[in-house]
Amino acid sequence: MGPLAPYEIISENTNFLLAFFIGIAFGWVLESSGFSSSRKLAGIFYGYDAVVLKVFFTGAITCMLGLLFMSLFGWVDLDLIYVNPTYLTSAIVGGVIMGAGFIMGGFCPGTSFCGAAIGKIDAMVFVVGLFIGVYGFAFTYGFWEKMYFAKYLGEPKVSETLGISDGLFGLFMVVAAIGMFAVAEWAEKKFPREEY
Amino acid sequence: MKPLKLLALFVIPLGIIIAAVPPDRVKHFRLSADELLQEAGAGVQFVSPDVVADMLVQKDPSLRLIDVRTPEEFDSYSMPGAINIPLSSLLSDEYTDILNQEAYMNVFYSNGSVYANQAWMITRQLGYENNFVLDGGLNYWFGNILSPEAPSVTSPNEEFAKYDFRKSAAAALGGGGVVATEGSATAVKAVKPQVTAKAKKKPAGGC
Amino acid sequence: MSNNTSTERSRKYLNPYLGGVLLGLVLLAANFVSGRGLGASGAVKSVVATTIEVVDKDATETMPFMKEYAGSHSGSPMKSWLVFEMLGVLVGGFLSGAVAGRLKLKVEHSPKITSRRRLIFALAGGILFGLGSQIGRGCTSGSALSGMAVLSLGGFITMMAIFGTAFALAYFFRRNWI
Repeated sequence: MGPLAPYEIISENTNFLLAFFIGIAFGWVLESSGFSSSRKLAGIFYGYDAVVLKVFFTGAITCMLGLLFMSLFGWVDLDLIYVNPTYLTSAIVGGVIMGAGFIMGGFCPGTSFCGAAIGKIDAMVFVVGLFIGVYGFAFTYGFWEKMYFAKYLGEPKVSETLGISDGLFGLFMVVAAIGMFAVAEWAEKKFPREEY
Repeated sequence: MKPLKLLALFVIPLGIIIAAVPPDRVKHFRLSADELLQEAGAGVQFVSPDVVADMLVQKDPSLRLIDVRTPEEFDSYSMPGAINIPLSSLLSDEYTDILNQEAYMNVFYSNGSVYANQAWMITRQLGYENNFVLDGGLNYWFGNILSPEAPSVTSPNEEFAKYDFRKSAAAALGGGGVVATEGSATAVKAVKPQVTAKAKKKPAGGC
Repeated sequence: MSNNTSTERSRKYLNPYLGGVLLGLVLLAANFVSGRGLGASGAVKSVVATTIEVVDKDATETMPFMKEYAGSHSGSPMKSWLVFEMLGVLVGGFLSGAVAGRLKLKVEHSPKITSRRRLIFALAGGILFGLGSQIGRGCTSGSALSGMAVLSLGGFITMMAIFGTAFALAYFFRRNWI
Protein backbone atom coordinates (compact mmCIF):
# COMPACT_ATOMS: atom_id res chain seq x y z
CA MET A 1 0.00 0.00 0.00
CA GLY A 2 1.54 3.26 -1.05
CA PRO A 3 2.75 5.89 -0.92
CA LEU A 4 5.23 4.37 1.48
CA ALA A 5 6.67 7.36 3.31
CA PRO A 6 3.42 9.21 4.18
CA TYR A 7 2.00 5.92 5.45
CA GLU A 8 5.12 5.50 7.55
CA ILE A 9 5.71 2.06 6.10
CA ILE A 10 9.32 3.08 5.63
CA SER A 11 11.29 5.34 7.97
CA GLU A 12 12.45 8.82 7.09
CA ASN A 13 16.02 7.67 6.60
CA THR A 14 15.01 4.82 4.32
CA ASN A 15 13.05 7.38 2.34
CA PHE A 16 16.20 9.48 1.94
CA LEU A 17 18.20 6.44 0.89
CA LEU A 18 15.59 5.56 -1.70
CA ALA A 19 15.62 9.20 -2.82
CA PHE A 20 19.29 8.77 -3.62
CA PHE A 21 18.64 5.63 -5.67
CA ILE A 22 15.67 7.20 -7.44
CA GLY A 23 17.95 10.15 -8.19
CA ILE A 24 20.52 7.80 -9.75
CA ALA A 25 17.83 6.31 -11.98
CA PHE A 26 16.57 9.80 -12.83
CA GLY A 27 20.05 11.01 -13.75
CA TRP A 28 20.75 7.87 -15.75
CA VAL A 29 17.53 8.17 -17.77
CA LEU A 30 18.04 11.89 -18.41
CA GLU A 31 21.62 11.44 -19.54
CA SER A 32 21.05 8.39 -21.69
CA SER A 33 18.09 10.09 -23.41
CA GLY A 34 20.40 12.90 -24.43
CA PHE A 35 19.25 15.51 -21.91
CA SER A 36 22.82 16.35 -21.02
CA SER A 37 23.24 18.13 -24.35
CA SER A 38 21.88 21.66 -24.54
CA ARG A 39 21.75 21.65 -28.32
CA LYS A 40 19.65 18.52 -28.26
CA LEU A 41 17.36 20.08 -25.69
CA ALA A 42 16.99 23.34 -27.59
CA GLY A 43 16.24 21.37 -30.74
CA ILE A 44 12.58 21.20 -29.85
CA PHE A 45 12.22 24.96 -30.32
CA TYR A 46 13.57 24.83 -33.87
CA GLY A 47 12.02 21.55 -34.90
CA TYR A 48 15.25 19.69 -35.58
CA ASP A 49 15.19 17.48 -32.51
CA ALA A 50 12.06 16.77 -30.50
CA VAL A 51 13.69 14.54 -27.90
CA VAL A 52 12.58 16.83 -25.04
CA LEU A 53 8.97 16.71 -26.12
CA LYS A 54 9.01 12.94 -26.61
CA VAL A 55 10.75 12.04 -23.37
CA PHE A 56 8.94 14.64 -21.31
CA PHE A 57 5.43 13.76 -22.41
CA THR A 58 6.01 10.02 -22.58
CA GLY A 59 7.28 10.27 -18.99
CA ALA A 60 4.28 12.29 -17.87
CA ILE A 61 1.69 9.99 -19.44
CA THR A 62 3.48 6.84 -18.23
CA CYS A 63 3.50 8.06 -14.66
CA MET A 64 -0.04 9.36 -14.90
CA LEU A 65 -1.35 6.04 -16.24
CA GLY A 66 0.72 4.21 -13.63
CA LEU A 67 -0.75 6.23 -10.78
CA LEU A 68 -4.32 5.88 -12.07
CA PHE A 69 -3.96 2.12 -12.45
CA MET A 70 -2.26 1.70 -9.09
CA SER A 71 -5.05 3.66 -7.49
CA LEU A 72 -7.58 1.46 -9.29
CA PHE A 73 -5.94 -1.64 -7.84
CA GLY A 74 -5.79 -0.04 -4.42
CA TRP A 75 -1.99 0.01 -4.35
CA VAL A 76 -1.59 3.70 -3.89
CA ASP A 77 -3.75 6.29 -2.17
CA LEU A 78 -4.01 9.26 -4.51
CA ASP A 79 -5.22 11.45 -1.63
CA LEU A 80 -1.75 11.28 -0.16
CA ILE A 81 0.12 12.05 -3.36
CA TYR A 82 1.33 15.61 -3.39
CA VAL A 83 -0.54 17.71 -5.93
CA ASN A 84 1.22 20.97 -6.63
CA PRO A 85 -0.82 23.92 -5.41
CA THR A 86 -1.94 26.35 -8.07
CA TYR A 87 -1.06 30.00 -7.64
CA LEU A 88 -2.17 31.27 -11.02
CA THR A 89 -0.13 34.48 -11.23
CA SER A 90 3.13 33.06 -9.98
CA ALA A 91 2.77 29.91 -12.11
CA ILE A 92 2.51 32.03 -15.25
CA VAL A 93 5.13 34.64 -14.31
CA GLY A 94 7.54 31.96 -13.11
CA GLY A 95 6.89 29.88 -16.21
CA VAL A 96 7.56 32.83 -18.53
CA ILE A 97 10.84 33.63 -16.78
CA MET A 98 11.81 29.95 -16.89
CA GLY A 99 10.93 29.78 -20.58
CA ALA A 100 13.26 32.70 -21.29
CA GLY A 101 15.93 31.01 -19.23
CA PHE A 102 15.39 27.77 -21.12
CA ILE A 103 15.88 29.26 -24.58
CA MET A 104 18.90 31.28 -23.45
CA GLY A 105 20.62 28.66 -21.35
CA GLY A 106 19.50 25.54 -23.13
CA PHE A 107 19.05 23.59 -19.92
CA CYS A 108 16.56 23.20 -17.13
CA PRO A 109 17.77 22.58 -13.57
CA GLY A 110 17.60 18.77 -13.67
CA THR A 111 19.31 18.46 -17.02
CA SER A 112 21.99 21.00 -16.14
CA PHE A 113 23.06 18.88 -13.17
CA CYS A 114 23.16 15.94 -15.54
CA GLY A 115 25.25 17.81 -18.08
CA ALA A 116 27.57 19.06 -15.35
CA ALA A 117 28.06 15.46 -14.19
CA ILE A 118 29.53 14.46 -17.57
CA GLY A 119 31.77 17.48 -17.86
CA LYS A 120 29.77 20.01 -19.88
CA ILE A 121 31.22 23.35 -18.84
CA ASP A 122 28.19 25.27 -20.12
CA ALA A 123 26.03 23.10 -17.83
CA MET A 124 28.26 23.91 -14.85
CA VAL A 125 27.98 27.61 -15.62
CA PHE A 126 24.21 27.18 -15.85
CA VAL A 127 24.20 25.56 -12.38
CA VAL A 128 26.16 28.53 -11.04
CA GLY A 129 23.52 30.74 -12.64
CA LEU A 130 20.79 28.73 -10.90
CA PHE A 131 22.33 29.42 -7.53
CA ILE A 132 22.67 33.12 -8.32
CA GLY A 133 19.03 33.16 -9.41
CA VAL A 134 17.79 31.49 -6.23
CA TYR A 135 19.93 33.77 -4.04
CA GLY A 136 18.52 36.66 -6.02
CA PHE A 137 15.02 35.48 -5.25
CA ALA A 138 15.88 34.96 -1.56
CA PHE A 139 17.13 38.52 -1.16
CA THR A 140 14.35 40.14 -3.18
CA TYR A 141 11.61 37.97 -1.70
CA GLY A 142 9.73 40.96 -0.32
CA PHE A 143 9.43 42.38 -3.81
CA TRP A 144 7.77 39.22 -5.16
CA GLU A 145 5.81 38.24 -2.08
CA LYS A 146 2.48 39.78 -3.04
CA MET A 147 2.54 38.27 -6.50
CA TYR A 148 3.90 35.00 -5.11
CA PHE A 149 0.69 34.36 -3.21
CA ALA A 150 -1.76 35.96 -5.65
CA LYS A 151 -4.67 34.08 -7.23
CA TYR A 152 -4.44 30.97 -5.07
CA LEU A 153 -6.76 28.31 -6.45
CA GLY A 154 -6.06 25.50 -4.00
CA GLU A 155 -4.75 22.21 -5.30
CA PRO A 156 -7.09 21.54 -8.22
CA LYS A 157 -6.59 18.78 -10.72
CA VAL A 158 -7.18 19.67 -14.35
CA SER A 159 -9.82 16.97 -14.50
CA GLU A 160 -11.69 18.61 -11.60
CA THR A 161 -11.47 22.01 -13.26
CA LEU A 162 -12.91 20.57 -16.47
CA GLY A 163 -15.45 18.51 -14.55
CA ILE A 164 -14.48 15.16 -16.04
CA SER A 165 -13.06 12.02 -14.48
CA ASP A 166 -9.32 11.56 -14.01
CA GLY A 167 -9.40 8.61 -16.37
CA LEU A 168 -11.11 10.47 -19.19
CA PHE A 169 -8.69 13.33 -18.94
CA GLY A 170 -5.90 10.76 -18.92
CA LEU A 171 -7.15 9.40 -22.23
CA PHE A 172 -7.24 12.92 -23.70
CA MET A 173 -3.69 13.47 -22.60
CA VAL A 174 -2.50 10.18 -24.08
CA VAL A 175 -4.14 10.94 -27.43
CA ALA A 176 -2.82 14.52 -27.41
CA ALA A 177 0.69 13.29 -26.64
CA ILE A 178 0.67 10.73 -29.46
CA GLY A 179 -0.62 13.43 -31.83
CA MET A 180 2.17 15.80 -30.79
CA PHE A 181 4.76 13.09 -31.28
CA ALA A 182 3.52 12.47 -34.81
CA VAL A 183 3.80 16.20 -35.58
CA ALA A 184 7.26 16.31 -34.01
CA GLU A 185 8.51 13.41 -36.12
CA TRP A 186 7.24 15.18 -39.19
CA ALA A 187 9.03 18.38 -38.12
CA GLU A 188 12.27 16.51 -37.50
CA LYS A 189 12.23 15.35 -41.10
CA LYS A 190 11.29 18.78 -42.38
CA PHE A 191 13.88 20.83 -40.43
CA PRO A 192 17.00 18.67 -40.24
CA ARG A 193 20.01 20.19 -38.56
CA GLU A 194 23.41 20.13 -40.12
CA GLU A 195 25.59 17.96 -37.99
CA TYR A 196 28.73 19.47 -36.62
CA MET B 1 7.79 5.86 -36.97
CA LYS B 2 8.05 2.37 -35.55
CA PRO B 3 8.78 3.16 -31.90
CA LEU B 4 5.99 5.73 -31.91
CA LYS B 5 3.52 3.16 -33.19
CA LEU B 6 4.66 0.73 -30.54
CA LEU B 7 4.19 3.34 -27.84
CA ALA B 8 0.77 4.28 -29.20
CA LEU B 9 -0.18 0.62 -29.26
CA PHE B 10 0.46 0.41 -25.53
CA VAL B 11 -0.68 3.71 -24.12
CA ILE B 12 -3.84 4.34 -26.12
CA PRO B 13 -5.56 1.09 -25.03
CA LEU B 14 -4.43 1.76 -21.46
CA GLY B 15 -5.87 5.25 -21.74
CA ILE B 16 -9.16 3.87 -23.01
CA ILE B 17 -9.31 1.36 -20.16
CA ILE B 18 -8.61 3.97 -17.50
CA ALA B 19 -11.19 6.29 -19.04
CA ALA B 20 -13.80 3.52 -19.12
CA VAL B 21 -13.43 2.13 -15.61
CA PRO B 22 -15.17 3.99 -12.80
CA PRO B 23 -12.81 6.09 -10.72
CA ASP B 24 -11.47 4.48 -7.61
CA ARG B 25 -14.07 4.97 -4.91
CA VAL B 26 -12.62 2.42 -2.52
CA LYS B 27 -12.37 3.71 1.00
CA HIS B 28 -8.94 2.57 1.92
CA PHE B 29 -8.56 0.97 5.28
CA ARG B 30 -5.84 2.71 7.15
CA LEU B 31 -5.71 0.71 10.34
CA SER B 32 -4.88 -2.97 10.53
CA ALA B 33 -7.20 -5.30 12.40
CA ASP B 34 -4.54 -5.71 15.10
CA GLU B 35 -4.26 -2.00 15.70
CA LEU B 36 -8.01 -1.61 15.85
CA LEU B 37 -8.39 -4.51 18.25
CA GLN B 38 -5.81 -2.95 20.52
CA GLU B 39 -7.54 0.42 20.56
CA ALA B 40 -10.99 -1.08 21.00
CA GLY B 41 -9.71 -3.33 23.77
CA ALA B 42 -8.22 -0.40 25.63
CA GLY B 43 -11.52 1.44 25.30
CA VAL B 44 -9.82 4.68 24.31
CA GLN B 45 -12.87 5.73 22.34
CA PHE B 46 -15.17 6.16 25.34
CA VAL B 47 -15.82 9.60 26.73
CA SER B 48 -17.49 9.74 30.10
CA PRO B 49 -20.88 11.50 30.18
CA ASP B 50 -19.56 13.79 32.91
CA VAL B 51 -16.91 15.10 30.55
CA VAL B 52 -19.49 15.69 27.85
CA ALA B 53 -21.84 17.38 30.31
CA ASP B 54 -19.09 19.68 31.48
CA MET B 55 -18.16 20.59 27.92
CA LEU B 56 -21.82 21.27 27.13
CA VAL B 57 -22.24 23.47 30.19
CA GLN B 58 -19.09 25.39 29.37
CA LYS B 59 -20.21 25.62 25.74
CA ASP B 60 -16.89 24.21 24.58
CA PRO B 61 -16.87 24.98 20.83
CA SER B 62 -14.66 21.99 20.03
CA LEU B 63 -17.36 19.51 21.05
CA ARG B 64 -19.54 18.15 18.29
CA LEU B 65 -22.21 15.62 19.21
CA ILE B 66 -23.24 13.22 16.47
CA ASP B 67 -26.47 11.29 16.79
CA VAL B 68 -26.16 8.01 14.90
CA ARG B 69 -29.78 6.97 15.45
CA THR B 70 -32.48 7.24 12.81
CA PRO B 71 -33.79 10.69 11.81
CA GLU B 72 -37.13 9.94 13.51
CA GLU B 73 -35.48 9.20 16.81
CA PHE B 74 -33.30 12.26 16.36
CA ASP B 75 -36.37 14.45 15.81
CA SER B 76 -38.13 13.20 18.90
CA TYR B 77 -35.15 13.86 21.14
CA SER B 78 -31.59 14.91 20.63
CA MET B 79 -28.83 16.19 22.81
CA PRO B 80 -28.15 19.95 22.71
CA GLY B 81 -26.42 21.02 19.49
CA ALA B 82 -26.19 17.48 18.14
CA ILE B 83 -26.22 16.73 14.43
CA ASN B 84 -27.76 13.61 12.94
CA ILE B 85 -25.72 11.14 10.91
CA PRO B 86 -27.70 7.89 10.82
CA LEU B 87 -25.43 4.87 11.07
CA SER B 88 -26.77 3.56 7.75
CA SER B 89 -25.48 6.61 5.88
CA LEU B 90 -22.22 6.97 7.80
CA LEU B 91 -20.11 6.30 4.70
CA SER B 92 -21.97 8.75 2.52
CA ASP B 93 -19.58 11.24 0.88
CA GLU B 94 -21.37 14.26 2.29
CA TYR B 95 -20.33 13.33 5.84
CA THR B 96 -16.67 12.66 5.13
CA ASP B 97 -15.66 16.22 5.94
CA ILE B 98 -17.46 16.02 9.27
CA LEU B 99 -16.01 12.69 10.30
CA ASN B 100 -12.48 13.07 8.96
CA GLN B 101 -11.23 16.33 10.46
CA GLU B 102 -8.96 17.73 13.11
CA ALA B 103 -10.80 20.74 14.48
CA TYR B 104 -13.60 19.16 16.51
CA MET B 105 -13.95 16.40 19.03
CA ASN B 106 -16.75 14.31 17.55
CA VAL B 107 -18.76 12.31 20.05
CA PHE B 108 -21.06 9.63 18.69
CA TYR B 109 -24.09 8.66 20.71
CA SER B 110 -27.00 6.28 20.37
CA ASN B 111 -29.49 4.91 22.86
CA GLY B 112 -27.02 2.50 24.31
CA SER B 113 -23.42 2.57 23.21
CA VAL B 114 -23.56 -0.25 20.68
CA TYR B 115 -24.43 1.73 17.53
CA ALA B 116 -22.21 4.61 18.48
CA ASN B 117 -19.39 2.17 19.02
CA GLN B 118 -19.98 0.67 15.59
CA ALA B 119 -19.78 4.12 14.06
CA TRP B 120 -16.49 4.69 15.85
CA MET B 121 -15.10 1.33 14.70
CA ILE B 122 -15.85 2.07 11.06
CA THR B 123 -14.48 5.59 11.06
CA ARG B 124 -11.45 4.56 13.06
CA GLN B 125 -10.66 1.80 10.62
CA LEU B 126 -10.73 4.36 7.83
CA GLY B 127 -8.01 6.11 9.76
CA TYR B 128 -10.12 9.04 10.95
CA GLU B 129 -9.11 10.65 14.21
CA ASN B 130 -10.91 12.66 16.85
CA ASN B 131 -14.05 10.55 16.95
CA PHE B 132 -15.31 9.27 20.30
CA VAL B 133 -18.23 7.43 21.84
CA LEU B 134 -20.47 8.68 24.60
CA ASP B 135 -20.07 6.03 27.28
CA GLY B 136 -23.42 4.49 28.21
CA GLY B 137 -25.33 6.33 25.53
CA LEU B 138 -28.57 8.25 26.02
CA ASN B 139 -29.90 5.73 28.52
CA TYR B 140 -27.13 6.45 30.96
CA TRP B 141 -27.27 10.15 30.12
CA PHE B 142 -30.92 10.33 31.10
CA GLY B 143 -30.66 8.10 34.13
CA ASN B 144 -27.56 9.54 35.69
CA ILE B 145 -26.74 12.97 34.30
CA LEU B 146 -30.09 14.61 33.79
CA SER B 147 -31.74 13.01 36.82
CA PRO B 148 -28.93 12.07 39.16
CA GLU B 149 -29.66 9.98 42.21
CA ALA B 150 -28.36 11.29 45.46
CA PRO B 151 -25.64 9.07 46.81
CA SER B 152 -26.24 7.34 50.11
CA VAL B 153 -24.91 9.12 53.18
CA THR B 154 -22.11 6.61 53.57
CA SER B 155 -20.68 7.33 50.13
CA PRO B 156 -17.21 8.84 49.79
CA ASN B 157 -16.91 12.57 49.23
CA GLU B 158 -16.15 12.23 45.54
CA GLU B 159 -19.59 10.74 45.02
CA PHE B 160 -21.16 13.83 46.50
CA ALA B 161 -19.03 16.11 44.39
CA LYS B 162 -20.07 14.17 41.33
CA TYR B 163 -23.70 14.38 42.36
CA ASP B 164 -23.46 18.13 42.83
CA PHE B 165 -21.86 18.54 39.47
CA ARG B 166 -24.45 16.42 37.75
CA LYS B 167 -27.28 18.29 39.40
CA SER B 168 -25.98 21.63 38.32
CA ALA B 169 -25.24 20.32 34.87
CA ALA B 170 -28.72 18.92 34.64
CA ALA B 171 -30.10 22.31 35.66
CA ALA B 172 -28.05 24.03 33.01
CA LEU B 173 -29.00 21.48 30.38
CA GLY B 174 -32.69 21.53 31.24
CA GLY B 175 -32.86 18.21 33.06
CA GLY B 176 -34.62 17.11 36.24
CA GLY B 177 -32.47 18.41 39.09
CA VAL B 178 -33.05 21.98 40.22
CA VAL B 179 -31.02 23.13 43.15
CA ALA B 180 -27.46 22.19 43.70
CA THR B 181 -26.50 21.22 47.18
CA GLU B 182 -24.02 23.44 48.88
CA GLY B 183 -20.43 22.93 47.89
CA SER B 184 -18.73 23.72 44.72
CA ALA B 185 -20.19 22.50 41.46
CA THR B 186 -16.81 22.60 39.84
CA ALA B 187 -15.45 19.93 42.10
CA VAL B 188 -15.22 17.51 39.23
CA LYS B 189 -13.06 19.12 36.65
CA ALA B 190 -13.60 17.57 33.30
CA VAL B 191 -10.48 16.29 31.63
CA LYS B 192 -10.43 16.50 27.89
CA PRO B 193 -9.57 13.11 26.43
CA GLN B 194 -6.14 12.86 24.93
CA VAL B 195 -6.30 13.31 21.21
CA THR B 196 -3.69 11.16 19.56
CA ALA B 197 -1.36 12.58 16.97
CA LYS B 198 -2.20 12.07 13.33
CA ALA B 199 -0.26 9.17 11.90
CA LYS B 200 -0.29 9.91 8.24
CA LYS B 201 1.24 13.10 7.01
CA LYS B 202 1.15 14.78 3.67
CA PRO B 203 4.49 15.09 1.96
CA ALA B 204 5.92 18.58 1.85
CA GLY B 205 6.10 20.84 -1.17
CA GLY B 206 7.81 20.27 -4.46
CA CYS B 207 10.93 21.63 -6.03
CA MET C 1 18.07 11.68 -39.70
CA SER C 2 20.01 13.06 -42.59
CA ASN C 3 23.32 11.31 -42.62
CA ASN C 4 25.40 8.52 -41.23
CA THR C 5 27.09 10.42 -38.44
CA SER C 6 23.78 11.41 -36.96
CA THR C 7 22.60 7.79 -37.00
CA GLU C 8 25.80 6.92 -35.18
CA ARG C 9 25.13 9.62 -32.61
CA SER C 10 21.52 8.81 -32.04
CA ARG C 11 22.26 5.13 -31.65
CA LYS C 12 24.20 5.97 -28.54
CA TYR C 13 21.20 7.61 -26.98
CA LEU C 14 18.15 5.72 -25.86
CA ASN C 15 15.13 5.79 -28.07
CA PRO C 16 13.24 8.85 -26.75
CA TYR C 17 10.03 6.90 -26.19
CA LEU C 18 11.86 4.21 -24.27
CA GLY C 19 13.63 6.93 -22.31
CA GLY C 20 10.27 8.55 -21.66
CA VAL C 21 8.71 5.34 -20.38
CA LEU C 22 11.71 4.79 -18.09
CA LEU C 23 11.46 8.40 -16.89
CA GLY C 24 7.78 7.82 -16.18
CA LEU C 25 8.60 4.70 -14.18
CA VAL C 26 11.20 6.60 -12.15
CA LEU C 27 8.65 9.32 -11.49
CA LEU C 28 6.10 6.69 -10.54
CA ALA C 29 8.58 5.12 -8.14
CA ALA C 30 9.22 8.52 -6.58
CA ASN C 31 5.50 9.04 -6.10
CA PHE C 32 5.00 5.55 -4.72
CA VAL C 33 7.87 5.80 -2.26
CA SER C 34 7.66 9.36 -1.05
CA GLY C 35 4.26 10.56 -2.19
CA ARG C 36 5.82 13.33 -4.25
CA GLY C 37 7.32 13.71 -7.68
CA LEU C 38 10.83 14.50 -8.76
CA GLY C 39 12.44 17.89 -8.52
CA ALA C 40 15.64 19.74 -9.07
CA SER C 41 15.40 23.41 -8.14
CA GLY C 42 14.17 22.47 -4.66
CA ALA C 43 17.59 21.02 -3.92
CA VAL C 44 19.21 24.29 -4.98
CA LYS C 45 16.80 26.12 -2.70
CA SER C 46 17.79 23.87 0.21
CA VAL C 47 21.47 24.58 -0.36
CA VAL C 48 20.78 28.31 -0.62
CA ALA C 49 18.75 28.27 2.58
CA THR C 50 21.50 26.34 4.36
CA THR C 51 24.22 28.77 3.35
CA ILE C 52 22.13 31.78 4.31
CA GLU C 53 21.57 30.21 7.70
CA VAL C 54 25.28 29.52 8.17
CA VAL C 55 26.25 33.07 7.25
CA ASP C 56 23.50 34.74 9.25
CA LYS C 57 22.04 32.73 12.11
CA ASP C 58 19.22 35.21 12.67
CA ALA C 59 18.15 35.04 9.05
CA THR C 60 15.34 32.63 9.89
CA GLU C 61 13.71 35.39 11.94
CA THR C 62 14.70 38.40 9.91
CA MET C 63 14.48 37.31 6.28
CA PRO C 64 10.97 36.74 4.91
CA PHE C 65 12.30 34.19 2.42
CA MET C 66 13.82 32.12 5.21
CA LYS C 67 10.64 32.39 7.25
CA GLU C 68 8.65 31.07 4.33
CA TYR C 69 11.20 28.32 3.81
CA ALA C 70 11.16 27.28 7.45
CA GLY C 71 7.37 27.28 7.35
CA SER C 72 7.20 24.77 4.53
CA HIS C 73 10.20 22.61 5.41
CA SER C 74 11.01 20.97 8.71
CA GLY C 75 14.39 19.99 10.03
CA SER C 76 17.77 20.77 8.62
CA PRO C 77 17.57 22.17 5.07
CA MET C 78 20.18 19.71 3.81
CA LYS C 79 18.24 16.74 5.14
CA SER C 80 15.74 17.04 2.37
CA TRP C 81 14.40 14.46 -0.06
CA LEU C 82 15.32 16.54 -3.07
CA VAL C 83 18.91 17.07 -1.96
CA PHE C 84 19.44 13.31 -1.76
CA GLU C 85 17.67 12.85 -5.06
CA MET C 86 19.86 15.44 -6.80
CA LEU C 87 23.03 13.84 -5.42
CA GLY C 88 21.72 10.68 -7.05
CA VAL C 89 21.18 12.53 -10.33
CA LEU C 90 24.82 13.61 -10.37
CA VAL C 91 25.93 10.02 -9.78
CA GLY C 92 23.44 8.56 -12.27
CA GLY C 93 24.29 11.08 -14.98
CA PHE C 94 27.99 10.44 -14.47
CA LEU C 95 27.55 6.65 -14.63
CA SER C 96 25.47 6.82 -17.78
CA GLY C 97 27.95 9.20 -19.42
CA ALA C 98 30.83 6.93 -18.43
CA VAL C 99 29.15 3.82 -19.84
CA ALA C 100 28.29 5.55 -23.12
CA GLY C 101 31.71 7.20 -23.40
CA ARG C 102 30.42 10.76 -23.18
CA LEU C 103 32.60 11.99 -20.34
CA LYS C 104 34.43 14.98 -21.72
CA LEU C 105 35.19 18.42 -20.38
CA LYS C 106 33.90 20.78 -23.04
CA VAL C 107 31.68 23.70 -23.86
CA GLU C 108 28.96 22.60 -26.21
CA HIS C 109 27.84 25.30 -28.60
CA SER C 110 26.70 25.98 -32.13
CA PRO C 111 29.63 26.42 -34.54
CA LYS C 112 28.30 29.89 -35.29
CA ILE C 113 29.02 31.28 -31.83
CA THR C 114 32.01 31.42 -29.54
CA SER C 115 32.39 29.49 -26.28
CA ARG C 116 32.42 32.78 -24.46
CA ARG C 117 29.06 33.78 -25.85
CA ARG C 118 27.67 30.33 -25.01
CA LEU C 119 28.85 30.58 -21.42
CA ILE C 120 27.43 34.08 -20.97
CA PHE C 121 24.07 32.90 -22.22
CA ALA C 122 24.26 29.76 -20.05
CA LEU C 123 24.86 31.92 -17.00
CA ALA C 124 22.03 34.29 -17.89
CA GLY C 125 19.72 31.36 -18.58
CA GLY C 126 20.66 29.77 -15.27
CA ILE C 127 19.94 32.98 -13.36
CA LEU C 128 16.55 33.35 -15.03
CA PHE C 129 15.70 29.70 -14.46
CA GLY C 130 16.74 29.91 -10.82
CA LEU C 131 14.59 32.97 -10.26
CA GLY C 132 11.67 31.62 -12.29
CA SER C 133 11.67 28.27 -10.54
CA GLN C 134 11.31 29.99 -7.18
CA ILE C 135 8.50 32.25 -8.35
CA GLY C 136 6.74 29.37 -10.10
CA ARG C 137 7.26 26.98 -7.16
CA GLY C 138 9.19 24.43 -9.14
CA CYS C 139 11.06 23.89 -12.33
CA THR C 140 10.43 21.72 -15.36
CA SER C 141 10.83 18.55 -13.32
CA GLY C 142 9.18 19.57 -10.06
CA SER C 143 6.30 21.62 -11.35
CA ALA C 144 5.73 20.81 -15.01
CA LEU C 145 6.64 17.10 -15.24
CA SER C 146 5.60 15.92 -11.77
CA GLY C 147 2.63 18.28 -11.77
CA MET C 148 1.36 16.96 -15.09
CA ALA C 149 1.70 13.36 -13.94
CA VAL C 150 -0.61 14.05 -11.00
CA LEU C 151 -2.88 16.17 -13.23
CA SER C 152 -2.16 19.34 -11.25
CA LEU C 153 -3.66 22.41 -12.90
CA GLY C 154 -0.66 24.48 -11.81
CA GLY C 155 1.68 21.96 -13.43
CA PHE C 156 -0.05 22.32 -16.79
CA ILE C 157 -0.07 26.10 -16.58
CA THR C 158 3.62 26.23 -15.71
CA MET C 159 4.45 23.76 -18.48
CA MET C 160 2.58 25.80 -21.06
CA ALA C 161 4.16 29.04 -19.84
CA ILE C 162 7.68 27.58 -20.03
CA PHE C 163 7.38 26.02 -23.46
CA GLY C 164 5.20 28.79 -24.86
CA THR C 165 7.70 31.47 -23.87
CA ALA C 166 10.63 29.45 -25.12
CA PHE C 167 8.91 28.93 -28.49
CA ALA C 168 7.99 32.60 -28.68
CA LEU C 169 11.56 33.69 -28.01
CA ALA C 170 13.20 30.96 -30.07
CA TYR C 171 13.50 33.20 -33.12
CA PHE C 172 15.64 35.78 -31.31
CA PHE C 173 18.14 33.23 -30.05
CA ARG C 174 18.31 31.03 -33.13
CA ARG C 175 21.94 31.87 -33.80
CA ASN C 176 22.88 30.24 -30.50
CA TRP C 177 21.48 26.90 -31.48
CA ILE C 178 21.26 26.34 -35.22
